[in-house]
Amino acid sequence: MAALVQVRGLTKTFGAVQAVAGIDFSITEGHCVALLGPNGAGKTTTIRMITGLLKQTAGHMDFPGSVQAGQHRALIGYLPQSPSFYSWMTGYEYVVYAARLCGLSAEAAKKRAKELLERVGISSAAKRRISSYSGGMKQRLGLAQALVHHPRLLVMDEPVSALDPLGRREVLELLRGLKRETTVLFSTHVLHDAEELCDDVIIIQNGKIALQGAIEVIRSEHRKPVIELQLERDDHSERWLSAYMERILSSMDAGKSAGLFHDVQLQNGVARFTVNELDAARRKLLEELTSSQVKVSRLEIGHTSLEDLFMKVVTA
Amino acid sequence: MSIKALGRSHLIEDKRTASSSFTRFIVMVQKELLELVRSFKLLWVPLVYLLLGIMQPVSAYFMPVILEQAGSLPEGTVIEIPKPPGSEVLAQTLQQFGTLGVLVLVLVCMGTVSGERNNGTASLILVKPISVLSFIGSKWTAMLLLTWGSLTAGYFASWYYTGLLFGEVPLAKVISSLLVYGLWLSFVVTITVLFSALLRSPAAAAFSTLGGAVALSLLAGLFPKLLGWSPGALSGFAYQSVTMGIVNASRFGWSVTSAVVCIAAALTISAGMLRRSSAVE
Repeated sequence: MAALVQVRGLTKTFGAVQAVAGIDFSITEGHCVALLGPNGAGKTTTIRMITGLLKQTAGHMDFPGSVQAGQHRALIGYLPQSPSFYSWMTGYEYVVYAARLCGLSAEAAKKRAKELLERVGISSAAKRRISSYSGGMKQRLGLAQALVHHPRLLVMDEPVSALDPLGRREVLELLRGLKRETTVLFSTHVLHDAEELCDDVIIIQNGKIALQGAIEVIRSEHRKPVIELQLERDDHSERWLSAYMERILSSMDAGKSAGLFHDVQLQNGVARFTVNELDAARRKLLEELTSSQVKVSRLEIGHTSLEDLFMKVVTA
Repeated sequence: MSIKALGRSHLIEDKRTASSSFTRFIVMVQKELLELVRSFKLLWVPLVYLLLGIMQPVSAYFMPVILEQAGSLPEGTVIEIPKPPGSEVLAQTLQQFGTLGVLVLVLVCMGTVSGERNNGTASLILVKPISVLSFIGSKWTAMLLLTWGSLTAGYFASWYYTGLLFGEVPLAKVISSLLVYGLWLSFVVTITVLFSALLRSPAAAAFSTLGGAVALSLLAGLFPKLLGWSPGALSGFAYQSVTMGIVNASRFGWSVTSAVVCIAAALTISAGMLRRSSAVE
């Protein structure tokens, strides 16, 4: 399908700080895209520029399907990180107001507001003042006001970060339903949410794109088998392990066994061997283990998760 | 498929409502007025003006009695205060509006833009397909309605009591001075909105506006030749127009023009300021 948004060379500088340093990406219509990155990577700045709240220092954003050039705000529904509303309004009044600002007539706005409040599950609190709403209810209200004009692109900044586990589950469930209807772009630093919901990911780091693409492609391309090895805590085994790891690292540096091991890490007494060829590596490792008479307590074969990739990309 | 259908229905909707930016402006003004009602500002600001307007003629009328009852005067003091003409009392009322009244208005408007920007409500509204100018304009319109309503109520109350206690003042004079004074208050309110868009702190906006307004009207009073054409001279013209009528018509014309130009400029600058960085959090 066609690209809904094309972003080219988007840059924002605040004084001497370059928050976003020329990023390019496009969002395909109908896809759900996650903007991933650690705190301070430039996610919020990017999102603000897309919504038009911040003016970019350089770069373009094109909405090929837009009716009029530069009038793309009508296409976007936006939910900020912690939405704040007029606390003196009721939830219903706020959604009606948002709908009317998007150009709906008074009756249409009322109808749509009722529908949406029902959908996000706060219709029972519709007649209450927003000042009495909990964080989760505000997030739902934020979602309702963002959807009020059937946006082509729903943009959300950390939609679930501020919620408790229950609220987070419920909002994610809502999003799962929404992504069938519209294109979604959301930022998060929680990888799990992205993995669960999205088709595409864009990982940004220090204002630059570190990695982007379809989540399936990234997963299969960067997926490597992992051998996790845990030993009993006797002196002999521990000595063997550190010596063995030493050997692998030095051979990796020398580039000798480039075919076998990719990376070795020791975390909480568990050695993680990222390998290129699983069968050969396993055979070799098992041989070593038996010949050195090491007491193995656990040996597990798995795959690198997206989180490993994320950590690698972000800490690189 | 469903997305395509969605997109198309959106396009149709877009055409149908393309010309309704004025409707959106009206909706925003209604929201501002509702906010004024819910925060009771629409109640107590007119009340303050009513009170000020009634107090002035009443206290002027009873001044001799008050002084007599104060009791600190030696026995047998004869207090002879000539009864001022009604128009004089009305001019004094306007002076009251110029101090306490202006203070109240500035305090009410000082956070109108910066408040919304600071707590983030503005960023939710400004991503909607509305213009920044209508965002500022709606706030300005609501504030002006409050200003003119309060001023009219207070001034007419004062006129009524003045008529009872001192003597009739012709309605034409009252209305002409009301219009001139209303323009001055509108100017002050607009400047408050401007500072509220420029500065993040409401207190700083209030201080800047009050300082500016006092300085401007003082300077216009001190150097009438140099600054008689400025908006600061308007309050003086309002006193004149209720008492003896406006003397220097050309200077008056200039100051009205300059006030209108300043108001337009302030609104444009506020909108430009907000357009540059609407999301301050």
